[in-house]
Amino acid sequence: MARIPSIYPHVWRVPLLIWQGLFFVGPLILMVAMSFWLVRNYRMEPDFVLANWERMLTRDYFWSAYQVTFLRASLAAALASLFAFPASYALAFKVSATARRWAIFFLIVPFFTSYLVRVYAWQVLLAESGPVNAVIGFAGMGPFTMLNSGFGAMVGYLTLVMPLVVILQTFSLAAIDRNLIEAAWNLGASPRRTLVRVIVPAARVGLILGAVFAFILSFGDFVSPFYLGGSKPPTLSILIIDTTKSGQQWPRAAVVAVMMILTLFTVAFAAVGAAYRRKA
Amino acid sequence: MTGAAPLVRFSQVRKSYGAIEAVRGIDLDIGRGEFVAIMGPSGCGKTTTLRMLAGLEIPTAGTITIDGRVTNRLPAHERDTPLVWQSLALFPFLDVAQNVEFGLKMRDVPRAERQARVALWLERLGLEGFEHRPIDQLSGGQKQRVALARSLITEPEMLLLDEPLSALDAHLVVRMQGVLTRLQKELGITFVYVTHSQSEAFAMSDRVVIMGHGEIVQIGRPREIFRAPRNRFVAEFVGHNNILSGTVTQGEIDVDGVRLPLAGVSDGPAEIVVAADRMEIYGSPPSSPALKAAFVSEEFAGAGVICHFEGPGDLELRAQVPEARLAELSPEPGKPFWLAWAADSPHVLTHREGRT
Repeated sequence: MARIPSIYPHVWRVPLLIWQGLFFVGPLILMVAMSFWLVRNYRMEPDFVLANWERMLTRDYFWSAYQVTFLRASLAAALASLFAFPASYALAFKVSATARRWAIFFLIVPFFTSYLVRVYAWQVLLAESGPVNAVIGFAGMGPFTMLNSGFGAMVGYLTLVMPLVVILQTFSLAAIDRNLIEAAWNLGASPRRTLVRVIVPAARVGLILGAVFAFILSFGDFVSPFYLGGSKPPTLSILIIDTTKSGQQWPRAAVVAVMMILTLFTVAFAAVGAAYRRKA
Repeated sequence: MTGAAPLVRFSQVRKSYGAIEAVRGIDLDIGRGEFVAIMGPSGCGKTTTLRMLAGLEIPTAGTITIDGRVTNRLPAHERDTPLVWQSLALFPFLDVAQNVEFGLKMRDVPRAERQARVALWLERLGLEGFEHRPIDQLSGGQKQRVALARSLITEPEMLLLDEPLSALDAHLVVRMQGVLTRLQKELGITFVYVTHSQSEAFAMSDRVVIMGHGEIVQIGRPREIFRAPRNRFVAEFVGHNNILSGTVTQGEIDVDGVRLPLAGVSDGPAEIVVAADRMEIYGSPPSSPALKAAFVSEEFAGAGVICHFEGPGDLELRAQVPEARLAELSPEPGKPFWLAWAADSPHVLTHREGRT
């Protein structure tokens, strides 16, 4: 009798393990392996050569793309967290529970439409003859070039990540025990100091997770830098596309992809560590 | 209350939330160095009263004066009225010392002084060596003491406590009561203690304020509240009381046909209270008149045993007897007993003269 229930809970893990094995671990191993393959006459041959790694990691264009991608993703994470916070704060503390539910619903709605469609919409809005420049024109300024620039790419990143960051921040702020906030006032903390000393530390996990998601999504995104950023300077995702297009260099693209995954693992690991770290 | 100006004065204070009136015009003075317990059933307005004192609620009408100054709208963080929450509300992301230090930090006290005072208060509350413990690694009693140290470190003139012991185990409650009364005497500051527990209120406070339905029903020393409840609400809330009604004639009250002694009350209908510890129990009919009642159950109450009886006309009766006496009586459910009291034991709740 005692043995049957001990196996039972493990049964439920099997489908997940199979799924992860087939669609995550398998392709990952294949990609790592591929980064050591050889391309001859536009065909890949399984091999074990370090040429692809040597080639990519010694080129300045790889490292400048890496730098651009990392900085943009960090900036997107910082800006998204910063812009989202007042909205999340208002949703968590200033509105009724009903209003909050509706707001969460409307934050999910953007995910109904393809991100690509939303980015195309920005192409129209931000064009030199577009409505945004028309409004600025009324104020006697512009027109500004907003597309095919770092600014354009950033607009795209924020379009992608803001709703999610607001949702994560709102949940973590709304979950704070209200007594902690009152206790801070009661002990002499002004509303501003309560925010810094109590509300932000109490919501730390959600705030960090929001920023991490923003970083991860922006880091791997190719739609915004391609359609709004004009591919210049190239990000790592664009570098992958370019590399595969030119001479079927899948193994070199695999090197870039492996580097991206290593970066994301490191960032996610460090961030989750920071989120759950105990203060000494 | 020695005639000096009170530390706190509530006058005609009201608080409503929309149509709901939580507090309906209370008047209350609290003296310096006094231990006042505000007691009442849930929803009686006691916590709202305390929160108004802390500035966490703004009165709808009336004035609250602290130290001679009207403070109705003074923001909570500009007062020095620390509150100990029922949930304690310790900051989980800070350690023990950082929690205790919080109030001083908010008042921009220099670091060296903060550390010295934290050390002093941790020692005072027996928390030495726990400075860098995370909050979730403390026992219930330790958390309680951290909350007290955190509130008292700014050396306020008054400490507010909102049912702080209700989450503790029974043996800890008694110990913490000792800690609280000792602290209050040592510091000589005012404690305003909200509770629904009669034993906590009676054990610690100088004065008890009984609230019901948003109003103050009675204010008095614990003994007065217990022996001389003002009305049926207080008598029922205080517990271990017998509430009886009957007609008084010639120094006796007629309860269901039994004439029992009642000194110093003129003729007329009356409602009286007899405390359980003033009830006499007899195993056989005594020579003097007594109420015949069937034993229902017993309840151990530390100093003695509270016996529950059912008297004539479904009347609920209680009597407190020492444990040894209970063994002599050997009660069983349904077994008849006779209950009576001395002429000066009853307290008269209501009395109308004349008309029978």
